[in-house]
Amino acid sequence: MLKIIKPGIETIVEDWPGRLGYLSKGMSASGAMDNVSLQFANLLVGNPTGEAGLEVAGGYFEAEFMENTVISICGTDMKPTINGNPIPMWEAVPVKKGDVLNLGVFGEFGFRSYVAVAGGIDVPPYLGSKSTCIFGSYGGFEGRKLAPGDVLKFGKPARALDTLAGRKLKKGVKPEFARTWELRAIPGPNTCPDYVTKEGMDYLYENEHKIQHTSNRSAYRIEPVPEYFFARADGGVGGSHPSNIVDHGYAIRGTMNVCGNTPILLIADGPTLGGYINVLHVINADLWKIGQGTPARDKFTFVYCTREQAIEERKKQRALFTEDNVTK
Amino acid sequence: MDHKVTATMPGLVARVVVNVGEKVAEGQEVAVINCMKTEISVKADKPGAVKEILVKEWDEMQVGDPMVVLEI
Repeated sequence: MLKIIKPGIETIVEDWPGRLGYLSKGMSASGAMDNVSLQFANLLVGNPTGEAGLEVAGGYFEAEFMENTVISICGTDMKPTINGNPIPMWEAVPVKKGDVLNLGVFGEFGFRSYVAVAGGIDVPPYLGSKSTCIFGSYGGFEGRKLAPGDVLKFGKPARALDTLAGRKLKKGVKPEFARTWELRAIPGPNTCPDYVTKEGMDYLYENEHKIQHTSNRSAYRIEPVPEYFFARADGGVGGSHPSNIVDHGYAIRGTMNVCGNTPILLIADGPTLGGYINVLHVINADLWKIGQGTPARDKFTFVYCTREQAIEERKKQRALFTEDNVTK
Repeated sequence: MDHKVTATMPGLVARVVVNVGEKVAEGQEVAVINCMKTEISVKADKPGAVKEILVKEWDEMQVGDPMVVLEI
């Protein structure tokens, strides 16, 4: 078990790929914002790679272990310590009953860190997933962010704990962290020439876009688009603004709609439908970078990508989470 | 001696909740930052008296930016 001392800015239970199959009921998929770090963290402690771990956003987290186990921490470097002593990231580390884990520092590159525990976090799956949907207040630990005094149970480890300690990723496997995140993106269903001008799409693909402070697990907002972005004077039967269209279903995680003049990447806890144009879709292999983008600090760039390339990149990424990439 | 209370999170200043001359205890909230549509409390890491307020509403903060000067 793990007792939360300081939950930090936002710490929640998330798994991967989240709660699939309920978009038609208005329920977003949720799941880890950086699925790559969560999956590596699980791999290192011998869990199925989609097992539930803790997603710590922004740092300032502290918790006490109430039993011996093995953990691994992957994601942004929050300078993790056990009882004040630094511990390595991207490596399986044994901990003892009474040890205090601290993730005390706001990451210099990246925003979220993932704590995986051998056996995973034992919360009841809801509709097939242990992931928390913050705005729906369901899933995870009581459907909410963790609070001081919360006690989390662990599942049964898949392997003997003494075989896990020291497992780490092979050189060159760890993802690169940055302040400007390059997102490969397929043009969406509402682009040029009908909804957006060519110059408007060029604006998205050729500039850096600062992440707005209002970004969270539902949506990452970037700076407003210029006037020449829209190809229409209004939204016709969809509404008065050229970003309006008749309500339609949004694609799962990674789609960008434009709400008024603001482009918004709809992600883990994002809405499942709405009445705004969808102009591009970040490929699955790059979703993790959105989750590591720090609001009010980092920037995104978008790189044109085809559906075929997106499928290839997804296959390549899935192949990363195997024992072939683990060493001792 | 002066001590600066700094931003713990990037975001916009929602409000400063202390006034110049006011005594603050360690751990007392001095300002609030808005980020992720959430209000993040910025607390004094030392006790002291507020000497100067360096920020105003809507100012953009980065981690480590000074917000309030305390006389400690």
